[in-house]
Amino acid sequence: MTHLLEMRGIVKRFGRVEALKGVDFHVGRAEVVGLVGDNGAGKSTLVKIIAGVYQPDAGEIYWEGQPRVFRDPHEARQAGVEIVYQHLALIDLMSIERNIFLGREPVRRVGPLSILDKRRMSEEAWRVLQDIGLRRIRSPAERVAKLSGGERQSVAIGRAMHFKAKLLILDEPTAALSVRETRRVLDHVLDVKKQGVSVIIISHNIYHVYEVSDRIVVLDHGRKIADVPKEKVTPEEVIKVIRRGAPLES
Amino acid sequence: MGRAPGQPLLAALLQHPELGVTVSFFSIALVFVALVPDKFPTLPTLYSILTLAGELGVVSVGVAFLMISGEFNLAVGSIYALVPMGVAYMMMAGVDMLLASLVMLALAFAIGVAMGYITLKAGIPSFITSLGFMMFIRGILLAVTGGFPVRMPHDHWLAFWLNGPLNEEGLRTSALWLLLLTLIFAFILDWTPYGNWTYAVGGSASTARELGVSVPKVKVLNFGVSSLLAGLAGLIAFSRFRVVDPTLGIGLELEAITSAVLGGCLLSGGYGSIAGTFLGALLVAMTRVGLVLAKAPAYWYQAFIGVLLIIATVINHFVVKKFVAPG
Ligand SMILES: Nc1ncnc2c1ncn2[C@@H]1O[C@H](COP(=O)(O)OP(=O)(O)OP(=O)(O)O)[C@@H](O)[C@H]1O
Ligand SMILES: [Mg+2]
Repeated sequence: MTHLLEMRGIVKRFGRVEALKGVDFHVGRAEVVGLVGDNGAGKSTLVKIIAGVYQPDAGEIYWEGQPRVFRDPHEARQAGVEIVYQHLALIDLMSIERNIFLGREPVRRVGPLSILDKRRMSEEAWRVLQDIGLRRIRSPAERVAKLSGGERQSVAIGRAMHFKAKLLILDEPTAALSVRETRRVLDHVLDVKKQGVSVIIISHNIYHVYEVSDRIVVLDHGRKIADVPKEKVTPEEVIKVIRRGAPLES
Repeated sequence: MGRAPGQPLLAALLQHPELGVTVSFFSIALVFVALVPDKFPTLPTLYSILTLAGELGVVSVGVAFLMISGEFNLAVGSIYALVPMGVAYMMMAGVDMLLASLVMLALAFAIGVAMGYITLKAGIPSFITSLGFMMFIRGILLAVTGGFPVRMPHDHWLAFWLNGPLNEEGLRTSALWLLLLTLIFAFILDWTPYGNWTYAVGGSASTARELGVSVPKVKVLNFGVSSLLAGLAGLIAFSRFRVVDPTLGIGLELEAITSAVLGGCLLSGGYGSIAGTFLGALLVAMTRVGLVLAKAPAYWYQAFIGVLLIIATVINHFVVKKFVAPG
């Protein structure tokens, strides 16, 4: 069976900065890949290419075996890519429910009109909040601006979990979370994996990544310097690879 | 937006952008009632307010819709004159007014789309693009007409439909247009996916894009709509005066922005209300009519609106910072 996602020789430049210098990367079905590396290694850039935010300057991408470059985030979402961005991608001035459904609002058709199904929006948004454990929030009509950092992160994760994806990407999902919230996110990763969903998880906390991943990929200055099944390394070795910026000689 | 159980009533009310304008509208109405108790609270006064608000309000609704999506259209005043001018010339050339109006409204829409396209393609502020269009169109109007007004050559049923008298006391069809357009755009903004995208592209264009919203499509369309409504408002004014001056609508863009901001729209986008803008336009028109009735010299009108605008903005800003988007 082909990989869900396969990328070959991916190059991405921002002006004179070469953020990715020919990276090969793949994700199997129901596989959890931990993507790690120092600040500025190119992790976010790589997943943003998968999510259609950026297009690569060179390289090939295969989605479910077919050559495919997502031209915009809408296409990627339609194909089944869900991403929780490092910056969370929530709009402060809008309510939680409007944020959750932005870009794929449930509608009721009345003749030629598509009317927002506000009932469904708030019921489903409420369920998302309950599932992710945001008990403090009294209503999904509250504006995102009122939420704390951890609550925002939970909303962003809840949104990604809500829409059944083939590939779930989490870019620093636990940075602002408490120990208990972090636990819930990691458990959720293992849950969706059981349902057959593939996951890419990016974190500076190697122990979090290590715990849930099947395979660990290390980026350094836009190059892949390690790509190993979890059984073959210890978290300490991964940290050493990141710190030295060179593969372990074995 | 629904009220969460346990949320204090005031805090819940403050979540509505139209709260401020509702309060100021009624307070100022009360002041006028006290000042001119015999003339202000009468139907003819209400009708003349609605007549003034009709033209301004239709422009303001479009400007507010675009402002919520994070952009400006300063060319609305020029388009407000361009459309009736074109219709007047075409009517003189024997074209039916309805056909002429449709052609000119299509042109207005196209101008808006072009403005939006240039703004987004070049990544420059719409303040500048639309300022350029404002001067360009006005210059052409003045050059072509030589500065002279142009009359409607003959009557037409459309003029009655757009802005005809509905009764003896001064109620006109323009009031119905304003009401209808307010309802339509308020509905689009709050009850359709498109409205959700309009808020989103104004709140954060990059985030809206990451969530799959086509930012250029939404913004460009809203530029077109603001120009279209400005053109329609121009036709409404033309139908009332039966003459169009090449200087018609100078300064209207600022009055429209005033109505929108009084109505609770944030200049920075992402937040606002069409119903509030409607009340904002009504407030501006009421102030003008009320001051005339109170026999204040006409110049006071501007001074008064200026003060009102600043007070309202200070209050709105405070409310948004404190209750809507703290932190
Ligand atoms: N939009 C952009 N414009 C210009 N340069 C960019 C842009 N996005 C990323 N870069 C550059 O590309 C490089 C890789 O950035 P990226 O955000 O992918 O790193 P990262 O591995 O996610 O780092 P972090 O752990 O800090 O999130 C950096 O040098 C960064 O400055
Ligand atoms: Mg990053």
